[in-house]
Parts: sequence; C-alpha cells; structure tokens
Amino acid sequence: MIETGIPKLDEYLGGGIPEGKSLLFSISPEVEESNIGIHALHHNLEKGKTCVYVVSKSSPKQIEQSFREFGWDLKKYGEQLHVVDGYSRLIGAPSDENFVIFEPHDILSYEDVIDEVLETLPENTVFVFDSLSTIMDLCGEREALQGIYRINERIGKKEGVAIYNFTVWPYNESVMYRIKRGFDSIVEIKPIRGEALRGQEYYVSKVGWGGKEGKRVMFRIYRPGGIKIYIPKIVVIGPFRSGKTTFIKTLSERFTSVDRLGATIAIEHGTVDYGGYRAEVFGIPGQERFSPLMEKMGLSASGIMIIMDSSKRDEIDDILRMVDKIRNKNIPYIIVANKQDLPGAMNEYEIREKVGDSTVVKTVATEGKGVFDAFKILAEKIIEEGGSNAG
Amino acid sequence: MLVKTGIERLDELLKGGIPVTTNTLLYAPPFIGKDTILKHFVLSGLEEGEPIIFVLTDKSFSEMREEMKNMDKKFVDYENEGKVKYIDVYSKGVELQEEGQNVIFVDSPINRERITASIISTEREFAKKYGRHRLVLDSLSTLIVYSDAKAVFRFLQVVSGTCKRLGATSIFSMTRGMHEEIEVQTIKHLMDGVIEMREEGSRMQIRVQGCGEVVSRNWIDYLLEKDEIKLTGAFRMSRVA
Repeated sequence: MIETGIPKLDEYLGGGIPEGKSLLFSISPEVEESNIGIHALHHNLEKGKTCVYVVSKSSPKQIEQSFREFGWDLKKYGEQLHVVDGYSRLIGAPSDENFVIFEPHDILSYEDVIDEVLETLPENTVFVFDSLSTIMDLCGEREALQGIYRINERIGKKEGVAIYNFTVWPYNESVMYRIKRGFDSIVEIKPIRGEALRGQEYYVSKVGWGGKEGKRVMFRIYRPGGIKIYIPKIVVIGPFRSGKTTFIKTLSERFTSVDRLGATIAIEHGTVDYGGYRAEVFGIPGQERFSPLMEKMGLSASGIMIIMDSSKRDEIDDILRMVDKIRNKNIPYIIVANKQDLPGAMNEYEIREKVGDSTVVKTVATEGKGVFDAFKILAEKIIEEGGSNAG
Repeated sequence: MLVKTGIERLDELLKGGIPVTTNTLLYAPPFIGKDTILKHFVLSGLEEGEPIIFVLTDKSFSEMREEMKNMDKKFVDYENEGKVKYIDVYSKGVELQEEGQNVIFVDSPINRERITASIISTEREFAKKYGRHRLVLDSLSTLIVYSDAKAVFRFLQVVSGTCKRLGATSIFSMTRGMHEEIEVQTIKHLMDGVIEMREEGSRMQIRVQGCGEVVSRNWIDYLLEKDEIKLTGAFRMSRVA
C-alpha cells in the first residue's frame, strides 16, 4: 500500500493506494489549492519511496518554493525525487531536468518519457502528475485520456502508483464520464462557502478496491504545516473550577481570552494542532447548569467536551444535566474526567454508571496527562459521527 | 444599475455605463487605445469607491502602477488605502525580481488554477470589505496563446461566474488580429457585452455589442490623444444625469 499521508484519507482508502492502482484528486477550480498531490508526494518522500513529479503547468523550480512554504526541505530527498519536465518546452525555456517532455502538445511524448522513467527507476515508484487537466488542455481531451490510461497501465505493471491532480473545469459530460470510469479511485476536493467557515472538504467518491466511499472531511492547508483536518468549533463546558482553563491552555498552541461578554464572563479561545487535526477550541466560563450561553455556543459546535472535577461527587448531577441536553442535540461529545490525581476521584465506570453510556476520558490537566488523548478521541468522534456542524 | 467607463461620450453611448456586475470583452488591435479604456475604467471605479483587481499577463504590476500614477496622482492614495490589488502573471515568468504589497504573483500563464484561486481570494476580500468592485484582466490573448481558446473558455466560465457572484464588474481584454475567428466567438459567448475597436484606414472606430441598452450599435469614430479617448462620431445625443 502507498499512503497519501492526508489525514484520515488512507483509512478510508483501506490503508492507502494498492500498488498498481491510480488515484485522482478531482479538484474544484474554486478551491484555493489546486495541488493536493504535492502532499502525497512529500509524504512518500518522507517514507523513503522513489517518487516522480510530472509537472506541466508551472516551472519545475516552483516545486522547491512550494516545499519551502510548507516548511519542507526538498534537498534532503536527493535522488529519491525525479522530475519530469513538461513545462519548459512549452515556453521555450531550457530544462535542467533529466526527463523532459519534448512535445508537450503530444501525449505520445509523455508516454515515451514515462516509459523511459519506468525503465530507469525501481518498482513501486510513486508518480504525481500536476496536472491532468493541463495535459488534457494541451494534448486534446480524448487523446490525453487514452494516453494517460495507457500510462497508468504501464505504471501498474511495474507495481507503481499514479496520483493525479485534476482541476474540474467545465468539461463536457462525456469527458467527465470517461474520467470517472478511468481511474481506480477518486477523491473530490470542493470549497465550503460561508461567512465564518472557510475551507475545503474532501469527499471519497470512488474506491475501486473496496474502502469507505462517501466519506466527507473538512480540511485546511497550512503554510507551514500542510493538510490538516479542520474542526471549526469545539466547545468546552463544565462546572466552576473543573480545570477548563488549564485544560485548554495545555492543549493549545495559541491561547487567548478573546471576548468579554458582560463583566464576569469571558470566553477563552485556543487553537489546537495535534494528530493531523486543527481545531478552534472555545471555553465557556464556569457554570453549574447548561446556561443560555452554553446553549448558544453549544448548538453550533462541531463537538463538546464536558470537563468535570472527578473528585466532586456532588457535581455529578450537573454533569448529567449537561449530557442530557447535548444528547438531545445529537452533537458529538466526551466527558473529560479531570483531576484524577485528587483523592476520591471517580473512575470512568463510576461516572458512566451515573450519566449513562458516554465516552469518558481520564485526565490530569495540571500535569498534561490525557489531555491530548481526550482531544483526539473527540476529534475522531466528530469526523466519524459527521454531525451537521462537523464541516 | 450602471457603472461608468470614465470616458464621457462612451458612457453616453452606453446610456450611462456598463451594467453592474457584468463581464465585458474589450476587443481591439494593439496601439489604438485599448489600455486607455482600461485605465479610465479603473480610475472611474476608484473615484466611485470601487476597488480594483488587476490581472496582468503582459506587464509587471510596477509598470502598471507607474502608468496609473502618471495618469492620476490620486492613484497612490487609492493604493495606500488598499483599494488596488494586483495579480501579476508576468514578472515571475520573465524572472523579474519584483516584490510588493498587495500583489500576488503567479508563476505562469498556464497555471490558470493559481490565477483563478488568486482572483477568488482577492474578490472575497473586496466583496466583504467594500461590496462592489472592478476587475481588469489584460489580456486573455496571452492565456490563449499559451494553451488554447477552449481551455481559456472553461477558465473564463469559472472566473466570470465568480465575478458576478461576488459583485465585480469586469473587463477582459483580447487583442484583435492574434486569434482565429472561432476563438473570438468562443470567448464572446461568455461575455455580457463586447466593446470593439478597429482601425479603418486612418480612422479609429469603436462599437458596442450587448452591454444592456445603448444609443447606437454602429461603428463610431474616435480620436486617441494622450491618455484620452474622444468619440467624435455622431450618435443620437441624450444627456445622461
């Protein structure tokens, strides 16, 4: 299996792309990033694979800059990376690359060069094409696709994997039909519109070897950083002194109390970057009950963390009320059983006995224990349960 | 609602201007005033508080900035207010060492994906901050030369749709004489109107197709003087408020 390295995607693909298969990133022209393949390229270079980057819409030099923007160092991969230059001849510039497409308007020229590459390089090579749409525009749609399918076959025979960026310009239906049939797997990248929510989602629309089709995940691309699953709003609630502030502070790489609503309450805001996830976390000041403020913030949340002081047995009824409210709204949540270091702290069984079936994660926020586990467990729940606010 | 082109008698011909949030093709041979029309369109927008996005394939953003400054000193102020954004598809390709605020560089005219993304993100910013704005793309010809009209047509389908949705009134330029008739027709299909210019012997003429209601659809003579275009040909006069 060849992984894409894109968070959660490999899981949906059933572990990655099997050797000999192709994957198409079918990218809406309205998203801000048209080069999703570069992330798979980087991931496989990191894994020590031999990779080929076939570039046709911008100068081969551009890749170095793109890598730098993501905080990656292209040089360290040395001979692992080979570039097929389908660009320079288009603009009549000289090329420094070993593999050059001399007739960028002729798909046969691509086929010849890929053959040469396959003869030179070992098996299991990962090919990333940037992009199929450019090749189609240059070589003619039908001819290009026929040629590309021949190329995929030949890469397949050498147990390689072919990954394509494809910008979905308004091509006609028969072209789109051919494309849908012609690739082993297709992941669509679409924009998400809305005032506060800016980003994009991927949608696993075809997995030819049995995986989870139909999965939808919102992500953002960070420079540096790369692709992260984006969770716009995790709300943290819980009674007074249950340790919410410490919890969010420990979790977050950036932390502020952003807003003052009235005199006594301030919403805390942290940005969390962990395990392939990037999330905005909002802490609502201590309340015994599910207050109007919690209700307001909670309703639009992607997920909720209820933090409790595990040693305060008298507060368990408040927790139960919060859980009941949230269950009704069908929002993914977990109970964070904090302050496990205090004497008399309840364990997860005791808590579940009181509040019913819930995910309970034990933490000691002051020592950072369990904090990131709790985050990741909720994040996975949000993506799996895919509520309407999950993106 | 109409937006002024900034050329007085052209606006009269257009009964006040170009309909708001439409796409117009400016189709003209070189050296007979195409750039002048574009620049007036930009300045008249800025005067009315509509910021501008330049998409430049044939000159660097700093060349454009100089030319605009020479035409109107106030241009510097508009720039400082953040009302001018450039998408420079020229400098990196010819390896000019350019840098600047309010500029997005795109490395190649073949990289229509990046051009589109840059336009969309800039328009979103303007739409949020100012609402209506203007866009000038100069020129489609270069994009077509580097690939083909069909590919640029598909690109334009996406971009022109976005312009409408986000509140831009746009002019796309194309150079007469560089393209097959079929290419020109393909592109015209996507436009709400066409302003055409031609040279007939020693006369320069302009004509409007589409663009909402107009006074006349005939070829009208004009004179090109330094930074000014003066329509001298007759069409029925009707003063516009």
